[in-house]
Amino acid sequence: MKRSLRRIGAWPVAVKVPLVVAVLMVAISAVLSNQILVRLSQTQQRHLEQLASAYLDGLSSSLVPYVLRDDIWEIFDQLDRSRERYAGLSAVYTIVAGQDGSILAASDPHEFPSQEPVPEALSERFVGTNTLVLAEDEGRAFVRRPLSYQDRPIGAIYAEIDIQALLAERRQVLLTLIATNAALTLVFAGFGYLAVRRMVRPIDILAAHLERGRGGRIEPVPRAQIGPKNSEFGRLFRRYNALVRALSERETLAARLAEEERMGSLGRLASGMAHEINNPLGGMFNAIDTMERHNDNPLVRNSSLQILKRGLVGIRDVVRATLVTYKAGGETTRLRARDLDDLRALIQPEVGRRRLTLEWRNDLPDDFTLAAGPVRQAVLNLLLNACAASPVGGRVCLEAGARDGELVIEITDQGPGIPPEVASIMNATKADPPPPMHGTGLGAWMVNRLVRQLGGAVHATQLPAGGTLVRIAVSTEGNKGLRHVA
Amino acid sequence: MPRRIVSGTAQISPEGGRLLRRRHFLASLVGVGSLALLPRRPRADGREVRFGLTPVFLNSDLELLTRLKAYLTASVGQPVELVMRRTYQEITALLLSGYLDAAWICGYPFIQYQDRLSLVAVPVWRGQPLYQSYLIVDRKRPVAGVSDLRGDIHAFSDPDSNSGYLVTQALLTDAGEVPNTYFRKTFFTYSHRDVVRAVASGLAESGSVDGYVWEVMSEIEPDLTSMTRIVRKSEWLGFPPIACAKALRGKPTTERIAQALLTMGDDTDGRQVLDILRLDGFTPGDDNLFRGIAQKYDQVRRLG
Repeated sequence: MKRSLRRIGAWPVAVKVPLVVAVLMVAISAVLSNQILVRLSQTQQRHLEQLASAYLDGLSSSLVPYVLRDDIWEIFDQLDRSRERYAGLSAVYTIVAGQDGSILAASDPHEFPSQEPVPEALSERFVGTNTLVLAEDEGRAFVRRPLSYQDRPIGAIYAEIDIQALLAERRQVLLTLIATNAALTLVFAGFGYLAVRRMVRPIDILAAHLERGRGGRIEPVPRAQIGPKNSEFGRLFRRYNALVRALSERETLAARLAEEERMGSLGRLASGMAHEINNPLGGMFNAIDTMERHNDNPLVRNSSLQILKRGLVGIRDVVRATLVTYKAGGETTRLRARDLDDLRALIQPEVGRRRLTLEWRNDLPDDFTLAAGPVRQAVLNLLLNACAASPVGGRVCLEAGARDGELVIEITDQGPGIPPEVASIMNATKADPPPPMHGTGLGAWMVNRLVRQLGGAVHATQLPAGGTLVRIAVSTEGNKGLRHVA
Repeated sequence: MPRRIVSGTAQISPEGGRLLRRRHFLASLVGVGSLALLPRRPRADGREVRFGLTPVFLNSDLELLTRLKAYLTASVGQPVELVMRRTYQEITALLLSGYLDAAWICGYPFIQYQDRLSLVAVPVWRGQPLYQSYLIVDRKRPVAGVSDLRGDIHAFSDPDSNSGYLVTQALLTDAGEVPNTYFRKTFFTYSHRDVVRAVASGLAESGSVDGYVWEVMSEIEPDLTSMTRIVRKSEWLGFPPIACAKALRGKPTTERIAQALLTMGDDTDGRQVLDILRLDGFTPGDDNLFRGIAQKYDQVRRLG
C-alpha cells in the first residue's frame, strides 16, 4: 500500500492533477447522480401513488353500487373501460373481491375467474391498505383499496401495476448521467492534463537544469525561457540564476582558496625541505673534500662515496615525495601503502625541527581502488597540522589500515586539541560545505572537501588525555570520488 | 318455415328501415346521441315523432344514428326524435304508454304484449325476416353441447330478450331445468355485444346471444367474435320487429313511419343505413312470424 502510494507520488504533476480532477469529478458525479436518482425515484413513486390513487378513487366510487348488487358484468365493464382511461398507469390486472374474499370480477377473468377466492400467494403481496408496495426487482407495484358503503366494508380492489417503464426511465437517466459525467470527466481530465502540462513546463526546465547541475555543469536558465518578469516562474528562474551565479563564484573562490592552502603548505614544506637537503649537503661537501685530499686512500674514498650516496638518496626521496604530492594535473594512480610511507619523508623536517616522536603503523594493503592523490594530500595536511600542534618533544601517531572494506587512517597528536569551530568545519557532513570566511580552518575545510569528494568522511575528536584524533574513513564501494579518479 | 320476404329495393316497403344495432352499442351513445341526434325542429302543425330504439339495435356508430334520424325525418315529413333506453323493459313501457309513436323492440316483448301492440314493419336479414339465437363459449373450450354448460357462469343479454334469454330459458325448461340452478351463476349484460365481450374475456364461460348481432360483429369486430365459438344455434325465429301501440295503428304518423321503413332501400341515406346494419330492407310482416317465440313463451310460463 505504502509502496503504491509512493509510486503514485512519483508520478508527474501533469498526470496527478488531472487524475485528481477526474477522481473528484467521479466522486461529485456519483453523489449528484445518486441525489438525482433518489429524487427521480421519489417523484416517480409520488406520481405513481397519485395516479394509482386517482385510478382507485374513480373505480371505487363507480364500483360500489355494482358490488352491492353483485353485478359482475358491470364491475368487469368498469374495469375494462378504466383500462383505456388510465392507460398511463399500466395496470397488469385489477381484481374486485367481495367481502368474503372471493373474486367478483377481474380485468383478466381468464387469469382470475369470478367466484374463485383471491389466490393466497397474491393477496400476501398486498400489504396494508392504500399503500403502494413496490417490488422493483419484479418491475411491479401492488396496491389494495378497501370498498365500503355506509362505513361498512363490502369488498376490496387489488391492482398490480407494471412499473417497468418507470424503472427503464430511471435506468435511462442513470446511463445518461454516467455517459455525460464520463464524457465531462474525460474532457476535464484531458484539459487539465494539457493545462497542467503547460503550467509545469517551467518546472521541467528547472528540473533539467538541476539535473545537469548534479552532473557538475550548473548553468543558468537562458533568458528566452525565463518568461514574464512578474510571473511566478519568471521570479523563480531569476532567483535560480542568481543562485547559480553565487554558486559559481563560491566554487571559484573555493578553488582559489584550496590552491592558496596548497601553496601555503608547499611553502612550509619547502623551507623544511631546503633544510633537509641542506643537512646532507654539508656532509656531502665534506666527503668530496676528503676524497680530493685522500683520493689515493681507497678506504677514505669508499667511505666518502657512501656518505655521498646516502646524502643523494635522502635528497632524492624528499624530491620524489614532493613531486608526487604536488604533481600538477592531479593524481590518478591507485593508493598503495608506499604512497603513505612517502609522506614520512615530507614531514621529517618538521618532526626533526620539533624533535617529535613519529609513530608510523601503515598496514594498508595494495589492492585499494582509491585515488592516491586526494588521500595523500589530506593525510599530509593532517600530519603537518599534527606536527605543528604537538609540543616540542611530543608524539605524533599515524595508523592506517583496512577495516570491513573501508580505508581507515587515524592521526593522533598531543596538542592542545582542535578548536571547536575548526572541528565543526572538519566534521561537516553537508554535501558541499562553504569555505571558512575568516581564514581559520581552511586546512580542515580542504581535508573535509578532499575526503568527501572520495565519498568518505572525516571526523576530528578531542582525546580525553589531551590531543586530537582525526579519523578518515573511505569506503571502497560506491566511492564516487574513487570511480571518478580511477 | 318462415315466409320469404321481398328483397331488393323495389320489394322493400318505405317503412322497412333495417336498423339492427344492438343495445350495448346504443348504451354507449346515449349521451352523445342526445346531443347529436336531436336538433329539434318542431313542425308548426304538430309534435315531433318519437321513435324508440332498444338495445336490439346495433348502435356502434354515430353515423348510423345520424343517418337514420335524417332519413326518418325526411321520409315521415316530421321531426323525428330517436329515444333510447338501456333495457327492453324501459322502451316497451314507453311504447305501451303511448309516449313513443313506434319502437324497434324484441319479438319477446311483442309476444308478451301482443294484445296491446301492433306490427309496423319487420327487418329483412339475409333475405328473410328471421334470425337465430346462439349459445357461445370460449373458442378454446372443448364443449360438445348444451349439457356441457352445466355449472357455468352464463351471460344473458336481457330478461326481455328472446335470443338473449328466452330461447335458452325455454331450452332448459324443456329439459326440466331452470337457468338459476343449471348455471352456477348468471348475469345480464343488457347488450348482445357485451355478451360476446363477457364470453371472449372469460368473465362468462358461456352466453346467449342474438345470432344476427354475432354475425354482423364477426364482420365488424372479427377479433372479438373469433375468441368465441358457437355451441348451438336455435331454430329460425321472427326478427325483432318495429311495433306501435295498438291504439296508434292506422294513424297517419304510424303509416308514414311504416312507409318510411318499407321504402328505405329507395333512398340514398336509407340505403346507407341498411348497409351499415347489414339488412336487406323491411317488410310489413305479420304476427305469425313470431309464433315460435310465442310457443317458447308459453312453454316457459307453463313449465317454468
